[in-house]
Amino acid sequence: MKIGAMFGDVFQSMFKRPATERYPFERRPAPENLRGELFFDAAKCVGCALCVKECPSEALELITIDKAAKRFVIRYHVDRCTFCAQCVQNCRFKCLSLSNEKWELASGKKDPFTIYYGRDEDIEFLLAKAARRNLETPSED
Amino acid sequence: MNELFPLLSFLVFPGGIFVLASGLVYEWTDRKLVARMQNRIGPRWFQPLADVVKLLAKEEVVPAGVNRSMFLAFPVVALAAALTAALYVPMAGFSPSFSFRGDLIVTVYLLSLLTLCIGLAGANTADRFSIIGATRTLTQLFSYEAPFLLALLGPAIVAGTWQISEIAGYAHNHWLILTQPIGFVVAIIGLMGKLELPPFDAPEAETEIVSGALTEYSGRGLALFRIGKDAELVIGLTLVAAFYLGGLSNPLEFLLKTGGLLLVVAGLQSLFARLRIDQVVGLWWRVGALLALLQLLVLVVLQGMGI
Amino acid sequence: MIQNPKPQKFIVPIGPQHPALKEPGHFEFTVDGEIVTSVAIRLGYVHRGIEKAAEERNYVQDLYLLERVCGICSHIHATAYALGVEKLAGITVPPRAQAIRELVAELERVHSHLLWLGVAAHEAGFDTLFMYSWRDRETVMDILERLSGNRVNYSANVLGGVKFNVDAAQADAIRRGMDFLEERTHHYYNIVTAEETFLRRTRGVGTMSADQAEALGTLGPTARASGVQRDLRIDSPYAAYTEFPVQIVTASAGDLEARFVVHVNELFESYRVIRVILDNFPPGEIEVRMPRRIPEGETISRVEAPRGELFYFIKSNGTDQPERIKIRTPSLSNWASVSATAPGHKLADMPMILVGIDPCFSCSDRSVSILPHDRQSKLWTWEDLRQYGIEYYR
Repeated sequence: MKIGAMFGDVFQSMFKRPATERYPFERRPAPENLRGELFFDAAKCVGCALCVKECPSEALELITIDKAAKRFVIRYHVDRCTFCAQCVQNCRFKCLSLSNEKWELASGKKDPFTIYYGRDEDIEFLLAKAARRNLETPSED
Repeated sequence: MNELFPLLSFLVFPGGIFVLASGLVYEWTDRKLVARMQNRIGPRWFQPLADVVKLLAKEEVVPAGVNRSMFLAFPVVALAAALTAALYVPMAGFSPSFSFRGDLIVTVYLLSLLTLCIGLAGANTADRFSIIGATRTLTQLFSYEAPFLLALLGPAIVAGTWQISEIAGYAHNHWLILTQPIGFVVAIIGLMGKLELPPFDAPEAETEIVSGALTEYSGRGLALFRIGKDAELVIGLTLVAAFYLGGLSNPLEFLLKTGGLLLVVAGLQSLFARLRIDQVVGLWWRVGALLALLQLLVLVVLQGMGI
Repeated sequence: MIQNPKPQKFIVPIGPQHPALKEPGHFEFTVDGEIVTSVAIRLGYVHRGIEKAAEERNYVQDLYLLERVCGICSHIHATAYALGVEKLAGITVPPRAQAIRELVAELERVHSHLLWLGVAAHEAGFDTLFMYSWRDRETVMDILERLSGNRVNYSANVLGGVKFNVDAAQADAIRRGMDFLEERTHHYYNIVTAEETFLRRTRGVGTMSADQAEALGTLGPTARASGVQRDLRIDSPYAAYTEFPVQIVTASAGDLEARFVVHVNELFESYRVIRVILDNFPPGEIEVRMPRRIPEGETISRVEAPRGELFYFIKSNGTDQPERIKIRTPSLSNWASVSATAPGHKLADMPMILVGIDPCFSCSDRSVSILPHDRQSKLWTWEDLRQYGIEYYR
């Protein structure tokens, strides 16, 4: 039975630095194995699509450009991703990894949430195709 | 000039702008101190001002089922009462602008008017949280008011006057905290009860009844009540400091003494769990009132014996 | 103002949106002055249809879906599910993986109990204790982030093992964290059992006898605070709890103070068992291969979540998608104790009694039907459920 059992804490913290941080101005480095944005190394991919099949949030799409030449493009929807790392677990060729640097992913626009990984010319080819399709069938709005 | 002086003192100093500004500063200091005691950073210096400006700019919703004119009038009356009370206390260490025999009683009543207005404002609305909050506010008012008044009467009796300026003048030569420690403790805790600070925040306990009597208030009304409370914090601290801590003769002394009191108040706020309303009433009537009465009795007897 | 002059029941509604509730739920307290005379509970504001959604996904995808049933005890849900599916598939998970599962589960219990300590203190208006216990909870959150890569949904499990290993540097970081937390927890124990103003809000509030606790079907720390000897980690050990056993923690008073005592003492027990695991880590693999298709069958998987017994029923039909998954969360069983113990207390005690069972609202959003004693249980088909839903919301 006593009154003011927290007096010690209260008194000491007057002379201590606050535990909270002014986040956007002060930031701590992220831990080494933080699960942030997904990175895909197209050069190693064999197109088994195991990552796509077991993605719980359907954030990955594998687009085959040329199966024989092992040219694949991955369309990655960051906004759907739950950063569970199941795709990293599934990949037998270690072409997927989660970054521990890119984790502040908020954006006011929709575009940064779709990321293409693959050879530059393949991505350009895909984007050009999509643009052409948009021209042919103009959207209704 | 003679007609201008009361207006100036009501609107600029020591009432009006000065009390409002210092109220906001004291509120910030209080929040910052509590935050530091809880190992947090706390708000930036302009936060209370920003809150008030934001509230003033917002729409005031008058809920269904209330008496509209009363709903709008209560915040104004509450703030006006607090500002008027500022005229009778030695604000910032200067002698009070107005003074007459018995102004102590008037000041204490003016200070209670704010709480009364909050209680009535809560009872005016149909909201169930407001009604419970209003009941609790008024219950708490009846429990701390008598001991608080008794605690302020102690210095009045030894000074032999009911005029604040004279009591403050007497207290200038006597640190009454040494001779009347019980009165001091009762006064400072009574002030916390008056301002509904933790642990006496049962009337606005957010985890039970949202924000108590003021749940339905928004915009201007809420802003006025809030700055009214801030003003009362300054006035209350000034009164207690002037009576018990050896008077206030200059602004520096005012700052140091009220600041020290605020530190104590902030410490008490962060040390305890909230008391239930029945525990508050029990505490005040079983302990607070009895102690204050005992102190008063001793004073009266000593006075009678001519010591 | 109350327009109707005739005496009527004064009901204080709390929720679905209310500062005392961090998740939506609706409670109607009938009060007589400040005294509560009866309580009605209505849940279901965050019903997400997870059980149905689980039938539409394959086993691996379900692991992450079910991890999100509860925001606080995410790991234990995934563990219960993984243990069940592994049993169906007839797979033995390596001991090191099981030890890591237990390690993460105990770390999660530490974070959950510290969180509860803070929330309960906040409901009592003791914000200083709230701030300090949450500040110290960051220690264990950081440890979990450093281990797994995420603060909340650790995703430690995969079917057939765990995702990450624990190396020596991480083990040292955990030991340091546990030392710090143990010291702080001793301090909190002294506060919750000695601070006069706080004891006035907890002692004798929401008291439940052991018989009552049994009859109401309470689980976890809520039941153990009333002296019920029930802890699945001891009664039917899963994962690595046979190699690294824990001691049961009980109290007899059954009031809120006893629940504080049980929670805090369980923290000490968790610190102890975490250190034991770190000192005696079994070597070896952390994952075995899992078939995509799970053989036909059904199983029950029970684990001890921070809030009590968590129950999973899994039925497979030989494909890569489960036929049916049924979850019974501990919070759901504990709600009855709130409506039983609340009447007679003050309105001011209600937030404390509500939080006293450490409720998880999104866990509790499952369909409940209470049958009278003498009636046999009833089988609901999908069509029945659908019809019931249509009728209910009409």
